[in-house]
Amino acid sequence: MADEMSQLECSIETIINIFHQYSVRLGHPDTLNQRELKQLVKKELPNFLKKQKKNDNAINKIMEDLDTDGDKQLNFEEFSILVGRLTVASHEEMHKNAPEGEGHSHGPGFGEGGQGHCPSHGGHSHGGHSHGGHGHGHSH
Amino acid sequence: MLTELESAMNSLIDVYHKYSLEKGNYHALYRDDLKKLLETECPQYMKKKDADTWFKELDINSDGAINFEEFLILVIKAGVDAHKEIHKE
Repeated sequence: MADEMSQLECSIETIINIFHQYSVRLGHPDTLNQRELKQLVKKELPNFLKKQKKNDNAINKIMEDLDTDGDKQLNFEEFSILVGRLTVASHEEMHKNAPEGEGHSHGPGFGEGGQGHCPSHGGHSHGGHSHGGHGHGHSH
Repeated sequence: MLTELESAMNSLIDVYHKYSLEKGNYHALYRDDLKKLLETECPQYMKKKDADTWFKELDINSDGAINFEEFLILVIKAGVDAHKEIHKE
């Protein structure tokens, strides 16, 4: 791994690390079983899966849907589809809440705040883009 | 408060916009935008496939631009690859 990771590499690494934190707990160390997925959803996705986190049946449904090889486990490949879907949902939510006006802007997405470990390094300039309402409003 | 995992996902949105807002449609990465993104964010993914090959592969609807969903295909491929690498080391 390079000394200095890009924002993209840092985000990917975070996603892999969190997956492993749960996948090692029970059974096969590199897959999530139903219980591990439940723990992950409750602890790590409380804002992105607000409704589902309280409903075990809903989480089982997610599991069933993602388990394309039907082995009752989610491997990282299967889990990454959930990551993709939730990222699309989060992006849509930001646009739903975007202030009206010219240019491109985001409103608050799911939940509030949280900067994470992969901040933007900046250095790019573009017009009219701002994220508002979730603690790190910025416009370039 | 967002968790680390949730913030990492939102950070993917940031990365996309860093390049997609350069010009034209706000949700379009054009050929040169994608090249810049690959060179800056994940140069190791250009060793086997150059930027043009990536562009053709990701532009699923052939509209000459990479939208956000198409960009996530790159992220998923990069992620699955990175995960394989970790277990190789």
